Parts: sequence; C-alpha cells; structure tokens
Amino acid sequence: MHVNRIEATRVSEAANESPRGAHLVLRGLGKQYAGRSVLERIDLKIKPGEFVAVVGRSGCGKSTLLRAIAGLEQPDSGQVKIGGGGAKPEVRMMFQDARLLPWKTVLDNVALGLPDGKERARAALDSVGLLARAGEWPAVLSGGQRQRVALARALVHQPQLLLLDEPLGALDALTRIEMQQLIESLWIARGFTAVLVTHDVQEAVVLADRILLIENGRLALDLPVGLARPRERGSANFGAIEKQVLEHVLDMHHTLSAA
Amino acid sequence: MRRARALLAPLLPWAVPLLLVLAWEASARIGWLSSRILPEPWAVATAAWELVRSGELWAHLKVSLWRAAAGFGIGAGFGLLLGLLNGSSRRAATLLDTTLQMIRNIPALALIPLVILWFGIDEAAKLFLLAVGVFFPVYLNTFHGIRAVDAGLVEMARSYGLRGWALYRDVILPGALPSILVGVRFSLGLVWVLLIVAETISAQAGIGYMTMNAREFLQTDVVLVGILLYALLGKAADIFAVVLERHFLRWNQAYL
Repeated sequence: MHVNRIEATRVSEAANESPRGAHLVLRGLGKQYAGRSVLERIDLKIKPGEFVAVVGRSGCGKSTLLRAIAGLEQPDSGQVKIGGGGAKPEVRMMFQDARLLPWKTVLDNVALGLPDGKERARAALDSVGLLARAGEWPAVLSGGQRQRVALARALVHQPQLLLLDEPLGALDALTRIEMQQLIESLWIARGFTAVLVTHDVQEAVVLADRILLIENGRLALDLPVGLARPRERGSANFGAIEKQVLEHVLDMHHTLSAA
Repeated sequence: MRRARALLAPLLPWAVPLLLVLAWEASARIGWLSSRILPEPWAVATAAWELVRSGELWAHLKVSLWRAAAGFGIGAGFGLLLGLLNGSSRRAATLLDTTLQMIRNIPALALIPLVILWFGIDEAAKLFLLAVGVFFPVYLNTFHGIRAVDAGLVEMARSYGLRGWALYRDVILPGALPSILVGVRFSLGLVWVLLIVAETISAQAGIGYMTMNAREFLQTDVVLVGILLYALLGKAADIFAVVLERHFLRWNQAYL
C-alpha cells in the first residue's frame, strides 16, 4: 500500500485555510420519521480540512445526519451549508457497503460518472494500491478491497468534503486498521474535510480532530482530540480520550434506562 | 481397468436411452411393435435422411424458424418495452398493469377461435398467438427485475451524477438483466410449444404441417422425425438462452 505521510503539524497548519477542504455549517437541523424525532436542532460548524468523527449507539440518528449533509435526505427544518474554494463544492459519500456496480470492472466503477476519466481513475486506484486489479470484476475482491475501490471512486472527484458512513464496519480488525491508515494518509495528502460516522470509539480517536457524540438526535458531546499523528493506540493519552467518550456513551445509557 | 472406468463415466447417463433405443429396434424387428404404431429407429433415421436429401426438411424448418423468430421478436419486444415502462414509472404501472394481468389469465390457446375469426388461418394468426404467449413471461420478469434493482446502487449512482439515460444504461438495465434473461429463456421454450399448436391447426408449410400431413398418409416415421425435430429445436433455443446468460451476466459468479 502506498502511504504518503506528511508531517502532521504542517498539515493541521495548512488545513486551517486550505482551499482543498470545504467548511460545513448546520443550523437547527431537524428530521422526523413518522412523527418520531430523529434529529433535533443540530447546530454545528466544521472547519475546512477538519476530520470529524460522529459516534453514538445504533439508531441515535448519526447516519441520518450524514445523509442530510449529503443531500440524500431532506431535513424537516434547519439548513445545511457547504462552502469551499470553488463555486460548487464537491461532496462525496462512502457507504457502509461498498456499493460497487457488479457488472462493471473495478476501473469502470472508479470512473463512474466521468466520461473520459479513465486516466484519473487509474491514478486513484493506484493511490489505494489496487491498480493491479483494475480489469477485474468486483465480485472477486475481498470486502476490504471493495471498500478501497469505493474510496478511490470518491477520491477521483477530488472531493472537498468526504462523508464516510461506517465504511469500515463490516471489515475484520486487521483490514480495518489498514484502511484507517490509508484514509488518514489520503486525508493528510489531499486536505479535504472529512465527516466519519462510526460506532467504533477507538476508530474515532485514531482518526478524528474532533469527536461528536449524538444521543437521541441531539449533540451530547463535542470533544477535540489533540493527539499528534500518527496516533498510537496503546498510549496513555489515547486510552484516556477513548475512556472519556465511552463513559459518556454509557452514562447517557444509564440515565435513560433510569428515567 | 480404472482408466477404462474413468473413460466410461461420462457415457453412463446415456446408457439407459441407448438400451431403450436398442430394445425398441429389436422389438420392431421381431414384430412385437407394428410400424403403424411406432416405426423402428432405423426407419425414422432413414426417413429423416430422405427428407434432408429432398430438401423438404430444410424448407419446412426454414418456415418454422422464421415464424418462431418473428413471433418471439414481436412478443418479447413488446414485453420488454412495457416491462421497462411499468417497472420504471409508478403511474404507467397503475394505469396498465391491472389490464395486462387480466389478459395474462386468458390462456393464449383459448384465443384460437377468436384469432381465426380475426385473422383467418393466415400467417398473421400464428404470429399473433406466438406473440401473445411470449409477451407475458418477458413482461413479468422485466417488470419485476426493474423493481428489484438494488435501491442502494441507484442512490449511489445518483449521488455520482448519473441521471436519465446514463442511469438506465449503467445501473437499472444491467441490474434487471438477470431477471429479464429468465423471462427470455422461459419464452424461448414456450415459443416452440405454441408454434406446434399453431402449425397443427392450419398451415401450408412448417414442421407442424409436415407432421400433420404425414399423419394423413400414415407415415409414422415422418411424424416421429417432426416430433424429434421439435425436441432438438427446443434444446437449441435453451442452449442459445444459456449462451446469452453466460455473455451478459459474466460479471455474476452464479453464471460462470
């Protein structure tokens, strides 16, 4: 796997006013399903180039939040503003399942929506280390490889905002760590803004500048992660942050079941 | 010994048919079977060869093949078009599907008296029967196939900017194709059944005509040639459908 590591400090400096990342503002975002409120008045500001992880229990509304940002769901109230260097910021989404078209080769999947983007698609496949599989059908790839192809498909569009909806949830532990490193290195190299929805608190601590916790459709915690990159899972600081988030999740659960 | 067994293994399924043919030939020669009821296999083979040599077989075969192809083309074409339309548009489905389902419940063969009144015993009558029969399997499977396309893939493709025809070509049609091909395969089998009936009612050429004509003259051997020919054509149509599936669904592990 090709990994282009750049000094973490240099990147966070550059990320602040990087034109390569879009900033994202949510104002009073609300969404209901059949009378039940899934998201309630979410206010949020995300800086260009920031990596934000959204954690929470299943059904807390974190996926709905991401889909509302992507424009796949219409919010019932509030608004989503995505701004960037260009006129219309490029927003791409990675889904929980890779959603590759099984009847197109790996290369054609990456080039989807780009009539003459074969060369760029090759470059994107190369950046996720799968150029050698360009001519194969998705069916013969492993789960991790499929997600890498889906990542390449998103990156080929040079997104300023990349939305990740638990893309690593179905992968085995080792493949997941590999993918986290790949996503981090590509984020560092390209400087896009990233919003990752995950139920894995450790994954959030490894990748995010900032961790948001959603409970019952509300923002319950907004925690900056000040660890230097690349982060070491075993370190004391890492463990402390992971513990803090986990305790918050469990705490909320206790108050709920007591009520 | 083991080697011989390995060589014989693939031939084993054919042992029973071969024995049956041999028993048939033997009982005809001994005189147990009257040639009025069942001519000996050798006589059938000779009759087939005679028909091939005189060019008669090819002439009838050509007519039947043309009918099957035209009837299938018309029926499957309309089935595909309406299936695509109703599968893609809720409004079209609301408007048309109930009507089509009612018509579907009428067996194509029950229409014969009406068809004869409408078209006479012309070529058009036969094509109409074939087309109506072939229409429904293709229509139903196309309709179902379009509806069953993975909504996640469509959402993904939309989010990548695919709209209209591009979305149709790259996502919806290929997604529905396995189901559409099931309909095509079923129809290719059905078209021969309908053709036999249509050609038996009234025709001046075709394998069905050849067979009915031979019956009039008590040429049991020619009747058997006709029946075997239908079996071969049906098998050929099925092989054609399998080839189509292998080609169009080569991305799908289930068809390799």
